[in-house]
Amino acid sequence: MSEVELLAPAGTWDALEAAVEAGADAVYLGGKRFNMRLHRRDANFDDDGLARAVEYTRARGVRLYVTVNNLVSEAELPELRAYLAFLQELGPDALIVQDPCLLELARSEGLKLPLHASVMMNTHNEAAVRTLQEYGVTRVIFSRELSLAQLTLIRDRTGIELEYFVHGDMCVAHSGQCLHSGVVFGQSSNRGRCLKPCRWPYGFTAADAPLAADRDPGPYKLALKDMCLYLHLPQLIQAGVVSFKIEGRMRTADFVGRITGLYRRAIDRYLADPAGYAADQAELRELHAARARDFSTCYAFGNPGAAAVGFSGAREPRFFSQAVKEASTAAPAAGLPAVVAGGAAPARALLTVRVADKEALAAAYENGADVAYVGGEAFRPARPWTLADIAAGVATAEARGAALVVTTPRITTERECGELAVLLRLLEALKPHGVMVSNPGALRLAGELTTLPLYADFSFNLFNSLTARWLNRQGVSRATVSLEATGLQAAAMAAASPLPLEVVVHGPLEAMVMDYCLPRALLGNGTPAGLCRDVCQGGDFALTDSAGERHAVKIDQYCRNHILFGRDLCLAGRLAPLAAAGIGAFRIEGQHYSPGHVGEVVAAYRRELDGTAAPEGPAAGIGARRPLGVGVFRYEASR
Amino acid sequence: MRHIGILQFTQHLDDAVRGFKAGLEDCGANAAFTYLNADGNAALLPALAAELAGRGVELIFACSTPAAKAAVELAASIPVVFTPVFDPAGAGLLAAGKATGMAGMVPAAAKVAFIRRLLPAARTVGVLYHDGDANAVLEAENFRAAAAGSYEIINFAVSRSDHLSTFDERLAVKPDVLFLPIGRVVEENFATVAYYAELAGVPVVASSPANVAAGAVGALAADHHKLGYACAGQAARILAGADPGSLPVGRAENPDIFLNAAAARQLGLVLPADLIAIAREVYE
Repeated sequence: MSEVELLAPAGTWDALEAAVEAGADAVYLGGKRFNMRLHRRDANFDDDGLARAVEYTRARGVRLYVTVNNLVSEAELPELRAYLAFLQELGPDALIVQDPCLLELARSEGLKLPLHASVMMNTHNEAAVRTLQEYGVTRVIFSRELSLAQLTLIRDRTGIELEYFVHGDMCVAHSGQCLHSGVVFGQSSNRGRCLKPCRWPYGFTAADAPLAADRDPGPYKLALKDMCLYLHLPQLIQAGVVSFKIEGRMRTADFVGRITGLYRRAIDRYLADPAGYAADQAELRELHAARARDFSTCYAFGNPGAAAVGFSGAREPRFFSQAVKEASTAAPAAGLPAVVAGGAAPARALLTVRVADKEALAAAYENGADVAYVGGEAFRPARPWTLADIAAGVATAEARGAALVVTTPRITTERECGELAVLLRLLEALKPHGVMVSNPGALRLAGELTTLPLYADFSFNLFNSLTARWLNRQGVSRATVSLEATGLQAAAMAAASPLPLEVVVHGPLEAMVMDYCLPRALLGNGTPAGLCRDVCQGGDFALTDSAGERHAVKIDQYCRNHILFGRDLCLAGRLAPLAAAGIGAFRIEGQHYSPGHVGEVVAAYRRELDGTAAPEGPAAGIGARRPLGVGVFRYEASR
Repeated sequence: MRHIGILQFTQHLDDAVRGFKAGLEDCGANAAFTYLNADGNAALLPALAAELAGRGVELIFACSTPAAKAAVELAASIPVVFTPVFDPAGAGLLAAGKATGMAGMVPAAAKVAFIRRLLPAARTVGVLYHDGDANAVLEAENFRAAAAGSYEIINFAVSRSDHLSTFDERLAVKPDVLFLPIGRVVEENFATVAYYAELAGVPVVASSPANVAAGAVGALAADHHKLGYACAGQAARILAGADPGSLPVGRAENPDIFLNAAAARQLGLVLPADLIAIAREVYE
């Protein structure tokens, strides 16, 4: 039987003591900075506290992991270097990291500490693991959407240590890919400040018709239940999970001690006599009595669908915010003053646009797009791009003297990676002008299987120039800035970036991407996944929040649900400061627009970049079909 | 060795527990503690109180009104010392004669005076409170009475947390300052209040230090550590034989000032130097 580790959270010194006394093999905790869970003043450890914690755990034979699992802004890099030097000196057993800049720094600064990839890294395929291993990552906390079976396969192929959440609060969206809090409030979930929009009440509409009252399970349609795998410890141990992670760095010492003790006793009993093991009913009752939300096994044994959601909200322990009306284009955008007509400085930056189909591609080129992105997710009712479509698109681009880049899905688990490998090998012959990738695994595959130029999409959460350098080292020649970075932050990044940066300036942005399918949960009458092909065919679904924002729900060919913001981003008339800062490309996300509308939007931005904006203003002629806003650009900096 | 139970509602009140333990140590009381925490889930409190009674504690230190209620409502006659409780009599904690403690209420007059010092130019005060929370309603009333004659008051009552989502529509009548009485619903969902207040350019004066850290310009708040420390004195007298019903409920003295310099800057306000000098925390 392999060794297993029970890993407990410690947000405070009291919780640290409680975890150790209850028998945790390891604890994880954060400093006051570069760390998740930053809403609480009284949580996390200052430098002295960290030093004392290392001493305390070492004396008791308990391992200690320090979380440095936030995206790091350009302005924070100097402080991060100093903090890493301090941690190196301190010598915890590992660092838990999210931002790839930590991989870059670990190598350049000769960091000797083992690294663990945070769940916020959204690691979900074998190729990504191989890249991480090259940078000293010894353990991965995988995306929570992966089943135990998928994890075992990755472990067998790579030898990576598996850490898995067994208990606590979970995200409904892919971790590290939820932008809702960051874009709306300027408080990013990737920077420890999540305001939990997934815990808001929502109405659901299909083709603008609300759910019938008798079919509506309750308003909390994204409120995932708490993970609890207490009853499944044997399966976890047999699957080769080495570290059993309890979530809860905001939890009390009392809670941490109690939950750690329950899992400790169960694990010990199982290891001592696996064949004779049975769950202790009294302990199970105690676990159940102490619960905040109801329990679910989440994705451990496959997609749980509606069973994992607490629709009534009755057991929601607390809220962090309520929905707000998103900032319109009338709101000031810090650092991006709107220019008066004709005042825009011409820029040499590329104008890029993502399109859904051949007609939109033609419209994009006709109206002055330099680069078009095709492929990746096809949102119902659109069909995926076939090889023939791509070949025709390349010809269209060549005829126009423009470029066509093939993009790839944001989430690429085993299935998508298999398909991607085939596509990449065949693309070589079609000669598109590049491939855009969305995660480290897809990036590695593209680097191995094609010689085409590589571009990094926004889902790399590029937040600083060191991450740009890391991407550059992996063969990327242009990288898209995080959708949570403000204009001033993008400008600061660009000033120090070794490769050209791209900023998304217009279009519907995705707040969340989920493996949880809303139409199946709400309209599928309990149909199991995979047998519900017709439920989402209508395609026009939305969630409406209590501020009245309508969030369209788009469904891709892999059945993932993509929740859009209520307002499309629109920075028309505000590009001059970004162009002056040296941003290399401005992107329109046009994949949800009709060909005609793609043409209108592209034309407006083409005029702005050429300095020929219409006298009635840069946004003239856009003819918006959906409400427009400035999103995160309202703020000076993401907090 | 005396056996004391601690009934905690949320971790946010742990300062009170630390103060209580420090106070008992200073009194020379030799005590062992059983600490139970509902982790924000009020429904668990009665069961946790019963668990403390079952473990034979001689006294319960209860943090927050719901915890105090759960402890007082036990069938057993275990004495209860509570804090921070806003309105002990109103919450029915004193009728049975087995409880005393420290009220956490900062006098409304002091909050009015704090607003006057912090924002001398303000003439109208918006009061945003949850009308389903007895404490919030009471403080809003007290505040209106204390501000009568010196401020024009605009009432913003919300009956459900998701009604904060449309608070911007009510902010069309713009006060010079928005005051938030205590109350969990508004405190927890502060990000939404701050979002709209910031867009409207209205400074927020809160009642919870956490809200100041998150963007309110200031707050006057009772120090939970001091309250817990004072409770220890009451507990020591009860353990020495005093009848809890005969001990008067104490009040928070010298509440602390919390300020947020970054929030002030964003609004173009200058924080008064004399307030900065005496502030417990100035957030950046």
